[in-house]
Amino acid sequence: MHTNNWAVLVCTSRFWFNYRHMANTLSLYRTVKRLGIPDERIILMLADDMACNARNKYPAQVFNNENHRLNLYGDNVEVDYRGYEVNVENFMRVLTGRHENAVPRSKRLLSDEGSHILLYMTGHGGDEFLKFQDSEELQSHDLADVVKQMKEKHRFKELLIMVDTCQASTLFSQLHSPGVLAIGSSMKGQNSYSHHLDPDVGVSVVDRFTFYTLAFFERLNIYDNASLSSLFNSYNPNLLMSTAYYRMDLYQRHLEEVPVTNFFGSVMETIHTDSAYRSQSNKKFGGPEIKMPLDQSISDNDRRILRNSVDEDQPNKLSTEENFHGVGQLWNTIISKVNTFESADTFVCYGLGSMVPLLIISVWLSS
Amino acid sequence: MSTKTETPVKKKNQKKIQCFWSWVIGSVILRLIIIYFPKNLNLSSRPEVSTPLTSIRRLAEGYWLKQSSMSPYAGSMYHGSPLLLTLLGPLTVKRIEGQPDHLLCSLVFVIADVVTAMLICAAGKKLQAAYSSSLQSIGLHHLSEDSDILPSGDFAALLYLWNPFTIVACVGLSTSAIENLMVVVTLYGACARLAPLAAFGWVMATHLSLYPAILIIPVILLFGYGPDAPPRKLFRQRTNLEVDDSASGDRSCLEDELVNEKRMLNVFSWRPVVLFLFWALLWSSYVLVLCGIYVQQHSGLQEMFKSTYGFILTIQDLSPNIGVFWYFFAEVFDFFRSFFLIVFHGNILLMILPLALRLNHRPCFLAFVYIVLSSMLKSYPSVGDSALYLGLLGLFAYELKDMQFSFFLFSGYVGVSLLSPVMHNLWIWRGTGNANFYFATAIGYACLQIILVVESVSAMLNHDRMITKLTTAKLQNVKS
Repeated sequence: MHTNNWAVLVCTSRFWFNYRHMANTLSLYRTVKRLGIPDERIILMLADDMACNARNKYPAQVFNNENHRLNLYGDNVEVDYRGYEVNVENFMRVLTGRHENAVPRSKRLLSDEGSHILLYMTGHGGDEFLKFQDSEELQSHDLADVVKQMKEKHRFKELLIMVDTCQASTLFSQLHSPGVLAIGSSMKGQNSYSHHLDPDVGVSVVDRFTFYTLAFFERLNIYDNASLSSLFNSYNPNLLMSTAYYRMDLYQRHLEEVPVTNFFGSVMETIHTDSAYRSQSNKKFGGPEIKMPLDQSISDNDRRILRNSVDEDQPNKLSTEENFHGVGQLWNTIISKVNTFESADTFVCYGLGSMVPLLIISVWLSS
Repeated sequence: MSTKTETPVKKKNQKKIQCFWSWVIGSVILRLIIIYFPKNLNLSSRPEVSTPLTSIRRLAEGYWLKQSSMSPYAGSMYHGSPLLLTLLGPLTVKRIEGQPDHLLCSLVFVIADVVTAMLICAAGKKLQAAYSSSLQSIGLHHLSEDSDILPSGDFAALLYLWNPFTIVACVGLSTSAIENLMVVVTLYGACARLAPLAAFGWVMATHLSLYPAILIIPVILLFGYGPDAPPRKLFRQRTNLEVDDSASGDRSCLEDELVNEKRMLNVFSWRPVVLFLFWALLWSSYVLVLCGIYVQQHSGLQEMFKSTYGFILTIQDLSPNIGVFWYFFAEVFDFFRSFFLIVFHGNILLMILPLALRLNHRPCFLAFVYIVLSSMLKSYPSVGDSALYLGLLGLFAYELKDMQFSFFLFSGYVGVSLLSPVMHNLWIWRGTGNANFYFATAIGYACLQIILVVESVSAMLNHDRMITKLTTAKLQNVKS
């Protein structure tokens, strides 16, 4: 069952002229936080520091638009991997979870088999590779191996890989693990272009793919259930100047049914119960009415049938002995009578209170 | 003429009764004054008063857990009975404006104390009547004339009510007041031969704290043989003498003779015992059904037994108290832990049989000795337990008046009860002492209790020897 959402946002380029990659990552960070994923479940990796760069005219501020409407580097940006820590080895360690003992929890991807993970990578890339720090590369079969390891270790339920580089879709061409959805900003042989230049800051501030992604998300809030297919169909190749290619052969669900907040936000299904929480052992005595969402009802009915059959085995074991059979029947009749009361507590209260007159009567009779 | 001689006696009795009741009301007023005391005495957080089994705060926590639809034993805070939760739980939550906290609980404990004292008084009266008739039947009339000041039942009741330990346990909201009430109900029911009452008290006392289970032996002896009496061989000698004499003598009443005949024949009447066991079975199944219903939503009876009896027997909580086990089990190796648990609990069990054999003609005193032993050697003792046996000591004040070291014991108790909080303060709050300071007072307290029980048993046996000597002397006089 889907229980939590994680986001791993990676910016792999350094140097001032790659300002837009930093702005891409920070914009997506802001979106993902706005839609509900908390900092403890976001791993943000920034290869260089643009906000406090000596060449930044606006110190401690990062913009993704020339109107400077949004400062992406606000008060509560938590960067987990910074500077030279963003390298291929650490990236792979984060995804597979194979860290040294001394690595703190904030730098670990602590996902489990119910997690949906968003993996966003941006920077300079090419045919089957992504460049890290201008000195290393992450290859497509490296990524495929990492995802395979994650699947084997049950570190995700569903994974969405979003890549914004040149020839982005070649990076996930080698993937073969189920439950993975991937979208890249351009196909093999195409470049991904920046959106516009900010004359004040002096560099391009955002890439086209990420710009249109953000345009889609800025219209949404946490309660919307726009689907992934509407997101993927919103990319216009003419505006992007490249073809955004997505790969869904490894993904079983239909994209029209998957809300974007499954990956880009953290909106959990709430299950409404009528009464207070009871422990599992009370299931056979009729727990509270549970209203389940439609797509989950079948699987949970199966689960409930399984549990009931397990519970039915137990009285059968007891009935082999005749003594216990009688006591068990008696106990069950007592319990069923008690459940007709409002609560067992008042019954016990009455029982306790009736002990005193019983005592007095018995003493009077025997004296 | 007879009326004139009777009225001074009647007036004296009325005055005695008035005096008694005024002392009882005085003790209740004292408790209410301490409850309403403006400064917080913090008695309910002292380790001498509240243990993990008797603390009212743990009971309130257990009740809150139950109200939040969780098992009351979750988190290992509450280790008492579910029936206490039903009774006292709602009272801990009710707050009346302008009144001190937990006022209703305090009133419940005050009422429990008063009822306990009344039952001790009634049991004392029964004991005294039976004992004087038995003394008369062996010819020692002069010993049965009690002192003019106070009959032993009233004396014991007042001793229980005015004992500082009882007052502190009552005001400190320790549930040992209710446990003491159940034990005294057992003893009274057994002395008055009311099988349902005694069975109820025994079942409830065992249910609340495990150790009163050993009181089944004195209760069975009380039902079989009757209340305390001099050794049976004296009755046999008397029978032989009467058979020889074949003189009718003056008969007090037919019932008395029948009872004495039974005693002289040393018959152990099984019928009341079987009735008692039947009622015990009935009450215990009733209590188990109620508890089962209460806990079936969460965990079941097994968890309840593990958290209550299992906790008492395995001593999982090693916070300091006035006993000696916490210090020992804090340093014993895990490998030997179960061995020492068996040794310490077997210590109580091994003493049951020899005492029962030696004191089977005095079942009420046997019950008193068992209560002292269990108060001393139980896992989590508190001053509420010693309040019980110090009160019951008053029932035997006449027989134990020649007890040795009585002044030493009295000053020892006063000294320990003053030093123990001081040592606790030095250890925990000021940090200028350590655990050994506090443990020293605990060891001193245990030694005092040992001296008390040993001396009281030897004083009782000396009293028996004195009676034997007097009877044989009298018989020899009669013979010769």
